[in-house]
Amino acid sequence: MSTTTPTVSEPATPSPRPSRTEGPLGSRLLRAVLTQRIVLLAILIVVVLVTFMVMDAGDYLTAPYDPDYLAAALINAVPLAMLGLAELLVILSGRGGIDLSVGAIVSLAGMVFGFMYGEWGWPLWIAIIATTAFGALCGALNGFLVSYIGFPALIATLATFYAFKSLAIVINSQRPISTPPIQDLFSISRSVELPVIGRELPNIPLGIFTLLLPTVIVVWLVLARTTYGRRLFAIGTNDVAARWAGLPVRDTRFKAYLYAGAISGLVAVVTVAQFASARPDAGVSGSGMALPAITIAVLGGVAITGGIGRVSGVVLATLLIVWLNAGILLAFVGNEGSQYQLLALGVVLVFAALLNGLTNRRFTGAR
Amino acid sequence: MSVHTDERPDPGLPAGEPPAARPTPRRRVLPSPVSGQELVLLGVIVVLWIVLAFATPAFFTAGSIQPLLVATAPIALVGIGMTIVIITGGIDVSVGAAIMVCAVLTAKLLVDAGLSLLPAVLVSMAVGAVLGLVNGVLIAYGRVHAIIITFGTANLFQWLGLQIFASKTVNGIPQTFDVFGRGVAGRTFGVPHAFLITVVIAALAWWYLRHTAGGRHFYAIGGDANAARLAGIRVQRRVLLAYVITGVLVGLGACFTIAQGTSTLDQSVGSGKELAVIAAVVIGGTSIMGGRGSVLGTLLGALLVQTVSSGVTQLGWNSNLSDLFVGVFIIIAVGADLLRERARRAR
Repeated sequence: MSTTTPTVSEPATPSPRPSRTEGPLGSRLLRAVLTQRIVLLAILIVVVLVTFMVMDAGDYLTAPYDPDYLAAALINAVPLAMLGLAELLVILSGRGGIDLSVGAIVSLAGMVFGFMYGEWGWPLWIAIIATTAFGALCGALNGFLVSYIGFPALIATLATFYAFKSLAIVINSQRPISTPPIQDLFSISRSVELPVIGRELPNIPLGIFTLLLPTVIVVWLVLARTTYGRRLFAIGTNDVAARWAGLPVRDTRFKAYLYAGAISGLVAVVTVAQFASARPDAGVSGSGMALPAITIAVLGGVAITGGIGRVSGVVLATLLIVWLNAGILLAFVGNEGSQYQLLALGVVLVFAALLNGLTNRRFTGAR
Repeated sequence: MSVHTDERPDPGLPAGEPPAARPTPRRRVLPSPVSGQELVLLGVIVVLWIVLAFATPAFFTAGSIQPLLVATAPIALVGIGMTIVIITGGIDVSVGAAIMVCAVLTAKLLVDAGLSLLPAVLVSMAVGAVLGLVNGVLIAYGRVHAIIITFGTANLFQWLGLQIFASKTVNGIPQTFDVFGRGVAGRTFGVPHAFLITVVIAALAWWYLRHTAGGRHFYAIGGDANAARLAGIRVQRRVLLAYVITGVLVGLGACFTIAQGTSTLDQSVGSGKELAVIAAVVIGGTSIMGGRGSVLGTLLGALLVQTVSSGVTQLGWNSNLSDLFVGVFIIIAVGADLLRERARRAR
């Protein structure tokens, strides 16, 4: 299972501490919950689902919290999980890697997509590829500044966040683009019935299959099955050692930002389709898209110091947040619900971060 | 006060060591009072002001400069705290949300309880201190990276602020805070009080960071927390203090923000301020890696950011363009610093 991560929690040589296969069941379980983020997330998802279903049965919710509702809520998981994966790549690359600009790239690339598909009438698939390439270009700027010039990632992406955000608003004089082709794009985000077994299951939003699943699989393959993935873990774990081992450190880190930008470009297409309009502030309105994405990554067990993180963790963390938010929306009347989503996100993030710190000290002997 | 120990001979040197063995005797422990970056920054601001004065004659009038200074004050003030936090190697992205909590609570107290000036300011600062304490405790004792914790608390504070708003704007705020800068009552020799207070606090912070042992501890922690701990600094308490100081300044900054606006306070108050503050600090030459930075630079950085956004508006350009310039200035300021650092190491 842990082929994707060089987790320090499992020492290669037998240690004097009891390994995971020994000891009483209770302590083994506790150990698994604390050290394996996947286990913890799975338990939390079950807790959330059971809690809201019990509340639903007791008629505390404003609408039924049933499989249909849960499936429909998955549409929110598409941008969130994809940007979470973008942050995963960047944070994995180490040396304080973080990308604050993903939301701004979504806005800007969305406007570019709006022009290409909505105004200039390019074919859809060319427009999507061009938008992804444009996102990659924005990411390449981040990567260039961070990797080749040596900017701290926080600063470089803060600066490009400002720049992209401003350009996205100015490029069409603050007006959204919602010409007929863009409006028809809304059909991408509709729900479909699965073939063969579809009758037994609720309808799933189409975006899950067309964009999210391919991204998840590609990112997983890149991280777990390619030389590039191993290099990324290596430079994130120890920059200097990786350089002495002859790895192309700068090139590897540069590409992490480039890929993150490309994923943001794809998210821009999803967002435009979801709103049926290319909005200049799509990725930065409110608290923006970058902060939830970073939250998802951290909650999914990605170490902010780099070199530790898994695709499955990010996906499960997304499911947890999406279904938690969906439940909260039903538990409160009016916009109270969206406020309590902030509370839940904050509490979950602080809790996850403290737990990361605790398990690092308790089970790896660090510090 | 144990002031910097400039001229004391190095006890580690053997007594018979000839003085020539030390190539360039480094007399100063402290960096020079004004760094090169700060001078450049000052130059850039002066040039910008001159250019703006020629481009739009209205720029150099009191009616234009005074609002600029009033708007600079909260950014610079919170920036002072942020400078200390970043010097310790941390960061606080929750200040925007914290400003909202302090501002809405204070505004409500002004409207509902009719609080007078001093109690209102004190309450706001106390609330800010509590919020800073939450951050500080979690970061210093939870030993989690500051950016993660403050992302989390930013959400919590935002929820708290929205709860206090209760889905309504706060209307009819009395003119208690006018003394901070709106109208004639808020100015001395034409300078808004909010800006004067900020300058005084910046001067105090400058002295504290530069000339007291406690202030130097922040730099030591940012340079190497482990070494600082072994040198006998109570690292956790110092880090905690940095966030509480920021919280108190956020409280005061929230009062300035109320004074700056109209008699209504809506839910967008404070949003995005955290990035503006961090931009000001970074443009001012404070290193995000910790261990280096100054309050003077932050003050100039805030002034530059505000000059840019005010200038863009007055030139009649799209006001959203100012963010682009802020981004470019961040790249230039930090990039120049990086290149200088590289040149220094190559020597």
